[in-house]
Amino acid sequence: METRGDTVFRGIAWSAFACSANTAAVDVKDDKIIRIRPLHFDEVSTKEYRKPWKIEARGHVFEPGEKTMLPPLSLGYKKRIYSPNRILRPMKRVDWDPNGERNTQNRGKSKFEYISWDEATSIIASEIKRIHDEYGPYAILCQADGHGETKVVHAPHGAQANLLDLVGGYTLQSRQPDSWEGWYWGGKHIWGNEPVGMQVNQMNLYKDLCENCDAMLYWGCDLEVTPWGWGGEQPSRMAYFLEEIGVKSFFISPDLNYTGAAHKGRWIPVLPNTDAALQLAIAYVWITEGTYYKEYVETHTVGFDWFEYYVLGKEDGIPKTPKWAESKCGVPSYTIKAFARYWAKHAVSIGHADGGGMIRSPFSAEPARLEVCLLAMQGVGRPGVGQMHFIEFGQFGFNEWNPMPRSTKYFEVPGAYHGWMELLDGHPSFIPKTMIHKALTLPEGEKLHWHGHGVCTAPRNDQFIPFEWPLDGAPMIHMIISDSPSWTTCWNGGYEMQDALRNPRVETFIMQHPWFENDAVFADLILPVNTMFEEKDIAVDNWSGQFNMMYIQDNCINPIGESKSDWECAIEVAKKLQEYGGIYENLAERYTRGLDVDGWIKEGFMSANVDPSMMTYEEFAEKKMCLAPTAENWENDTVALSRWYEDWRKQPMQTPTGKIEIYSTGLAEHFPDDPTRPPVPHWIEESEELKERLSCDRAKDYPFLIISNHPRWRVHSEHDDITWFREIETCKVKGPDGYMYEPVWLNPVDAGKLGIKTGDVVSVYNERGEVLGGALVTERVMPGTVYQDHGARIDAIVRGKGGLDRGGANNLICPSPTASNNVVSEVTNGFLVNVKKVDIFALAEKYPEEFGREYQPEAGLQVSAWIVNE
Amino acid sequence: MKVFVYDLNKCNGCHNCQIVCKDEHCDNDWSPIAKPQPDTGHFWCKVDEEVCGKTPLVRVNYLSHHCNHCDNAPCMKAAPDAIYKREDGLVIIDPEKAAGNKDIVKACPYGEIYWNEELKLAQKCTGCAHLLDDGWAVPRCVDACCTGALRFGDEEDFAEELKNAEVLRPESGCAPRVYYLNKPKRFVAATVVDLDADEVVIDATAMLQRVSDETVVATMQTDEMGDVFIENVEPDNYYLWIQKEGYVTRRIPADTREKDVAIPELQFSTEPVKA
Repeated sequence: METRGDTVFRGIAWSAFACSANTAAVDVKDDKIIRIRPLHFDEVSTKEYRKPWKIEARGHVFEPGEKTMLPPLSLGYKKRIYSPNRILRPMKRVDWDPNGERNTQNRGKSKFEYISWDEATSIIASEIKRIHDEYGPYAILCQADGHGETKVVHAPHGAQANLLDLVGGYTLQSRQPDSWEGWYWGGKHIWGNEPVGMQVNQMNLYKDLCENCDAMLYWGCDLEVTPWGWGGEQPSRMAYFLEEIGVKSFFISPDLNYTGAAHKGRWIPVLPNTDAALQLAIAYVWITEGTYYKEYVETHTVGFDWFEYYVLGKEDGIPKTPKWAESKCGVPSYTIKAFARYWAKHAVSIGHADGGGMIRSPFSAEPARLEVCLLAMQGVGRPGVGQMHFIEFGQFGFNEWNPMPRSTKYFEVPGAYHGWMELLDGHPSFIPKTMIHKALTLPEGEKLHWHGHGVCTAPRNDQFIPFEWPLDGAPMIHMIISDSPSWTTCWNGGYEMQDALRNPRVETFIMQHPWFENDAVFADLILPVNTMFEEKDIAVDNWSGQFNMMYIQDNCINPIGESKSDWECAIEVAKKLQEYGGIYENLAERYTRGLDVDGWIKEGFMSANVDPSMMTYEEFAEKKMCLAPTAENWENDTVALSRWYEDWRKQPMQTPTGKIEIYSTGLAEHFPDDPTRPPVPHWIEESEELKERLSCDRAKDYPFLIISNHPRWRVHSEHDDITWFREIETCKVKGPDGYMYEPVWLNPVDAGKLGIKTGDVVSVYNERGEVLGGALVTERVMPGTVYQDHGARIDAIVRGKGGLDRGGANNLICPSPTASNNVVSEVTNGFLVNVKKVDIFALAEKYPEEFGREYQPEAGLQVSAWIVNE
Repeated sequence: MKVFVYDLNKCNGCHNCQIVCKDEHCDNDWSPIAKPQPDTGHFWCKVDEEVCGKTPLVRVNYLSHHCNHCDNAPCMKAAPDAIYKREDGLVIIDPEKAAGNKDIVKACPYGEIYWNEELKLAQKCTGCAHLLDDGWAVPRCVDACCTGALRFGDEEDFAEELKNAEVLRPESGCAPRVYYLNKPKRFVAATVVDLDADEVVIDATAMLQRVSDETVVATMQTDEMGDVFIENVEPDNYYLWIQKEGYVTRRIPADTREKDVAIPELQFSTEPVKA
């Protein structure tokens, strides 16, 4: 039997940017996807050519592997492509009339009708023209960022933004350094490490740890989840190898996350966002017992005396003892002491997959800086001691940002990329993503104020620049054009955003997206976008920790329905706009520069600057695959921070003093009196705006702290409709009404007190509203903590402040303010909630229309429920 | 003859095997080896997750399982005309000949056979025989495994490892061809703490003694975290002894017949000072 079909290379990942991993071989036949499988490197090269690296340590050998390490998110993607929730034709909200009543209050509630592409693009073009004439271009807010399918020519975010740049610009929703919030706003002030504030120099760090490390602390790190979306499962193999050679593992998080589940080690449960207390107590033990690297601290750091003064309680009368910490973080003081002593005696490294929950919690700059303090006190940079990244190897094209043996080439194809780039220049009118809901509802005549672009490529000094919105004389937002309908499922204060999106000042809300989900439900007009499997594109794979690759991805199937790529959507709008002449003249040609997809793929290849001895464009067009072998002599690359360790002057930090600034001189100069981010990192109990501790008055009503991890079975809010995932026990919990609820983990101690058992429908709530979930009573979460992954697909029962969501999208009840006074980072984790069992049948009676919405337990909500003219 | 060899120490629980089975068999017709698998509800390959212990002494066990392709397969006895064993050892339900025979489902003591209501057909894992016959080296589940936990190949190539392997429910006498390495038994774990001193106790001796015959089955020292973690304990009734010079010896019942035993705070005190 012929089983193979034609094989197409395809990167199945969701970083959105023109960089990723997860290269798959997709077997197709007759416009049908037969299967998605790992690519075996032997299919595209010989072993002699690849020169696989070998890490030999303690009598064991680690190698890159013979195939790509695809995660289930990639392997199950067929079901996302054929989801019953795909938007297959342009849709317009039935009671939105661009020439009459707009009924903005009904956004998220009223249904849609299918319209033609011609009508849809005519409306979009005339609305852009009208807004330009009435208010000017800055009245258009462009949401063009976040994660999404990794594509290049057909970039999922920013195609429309690039078009608007050709006709006067727009107001930019500026994307946060969301993967690194605490590192970015804290880490950079203590040890530089541009651009994100984590240990960016990782060169040969994994090899160093294999040889010299005694223990790895997976601190809020879930390498069995977070890397999946754009890096695959190589980090899992790396962790197994460390175990194999005798490196001890510690898992420090409120939950025994999937890393703790897959690997053997010691779980130290710590209450959500109380890591700072634990860290301070560890420092206390080391200071009082004299077990830190004093000489190193003297030579390599500044301001340790301030820190010591604070830790010992001389500043505020509270010594940061293990007993003190126990009352804050829930870790027994005897465990803190034993752990601190173990750490002081051994070569200990900390592993991260960007950030755990503490990095997206209130005051996140503090635990980030405190972690660096602890690393410094144990001589970070000495053999076996570092902060190790288990994700995004070689990010931003930095060779030194890769802990694994490097390939001869890091492929980048900016010449073909049609998405938004995280750059600082060119958009004077911008709003930090965390403040969008405030901006949309800002009273006329008022302004928003903040510091820093808040973009992950911005240098430390950028955080001291004051900004405001709107610019002098500029309009408020009257139109939103978005390709990113996941603000409310990923950011802070989602219910407030649902209100903001229904604000009558926002006259028009245009969306383009493949699926009808989350904020798309609030749009007025939607263009149908196809998935990566329906598009021809170029791709790069640099983040697998195996071999770097660049390749042509043919389309696997024809576009489904009337869908087009994001880039093609923008072209269709351009064709309508150019009919207005003037600034719009010849817009489609200006936008495409006369190139078709193949032309752009060639531009991409040329921009990669591949040495012709490796491959010419002609060879690339024919073979469709360019794989970079392991670099010669990679073993000789200097280990990460080893030169810094030997002599700080040889490899200074990117701080004003070149040292680790335990007393951050930049913060002292610019924000000397900020109690929420003081020059020396502190335990911050609460602020005027954020009262999210168990010690706060609010905790009487909301006595639990929530941990809302990056989801196991999604990338943020994507993949929630994959039928094959939804029948996995940790993906959804079937309620008594047959609905598949987002799991809410409770420790048996708490569940017992609340009378909740596995399978019950529960409400997770605070004064901002409530979200439902399906209880999973488990020892994998500590008492006092409620665990629910973030990003479940919204199923709104009551919209806006005080609302109710059946889907379990807990970003709806996140705090709205930013993490400290002078930062604009999100607070999406570690906040107060309560939990109660709900009578789901009583709720269904109360909201018959919403509960009666068409729904398949297998795939969830479907677009047909919202269409009047199917 | 082929075998499946699954090393549970390397299973990270990612469910790739479960997912690619659906990718291969849902909406793909591989007759005469297999008719399409329904989109949901069937698990020709399934990963079970089991959470053991008590916070924070918790372990999670994953078990990937599917048809055992038994050499002494009860399903073949139940439907000798419809189910056959191939030369490579794989057991196949012939979708034509098995049509309408629901009794096949009940014949499997492992519950690995599913009833397809739409096709009126008993279905299960085929070992991706359609792929092997077309030159593929391994079934999809094995191909998708990143960590090397799942392997498939000729029995003789695994001979050494199979000496330490076990099969599921050997008492059924089915002679399965799916072998497991490092299948966890029960554990007994504790953190030994001197609450008066507010310190964990390091280097205390922990002994696990079977109640029935007083045999000591394991002895180890508490580690730098004050922990003792005794793995691979046969389900039985035990005493856990904790001893250290200067401390009052403790004997704690540790019954692992039903579940693992985890004592997050095992209190251990120094001997009273004699007057």
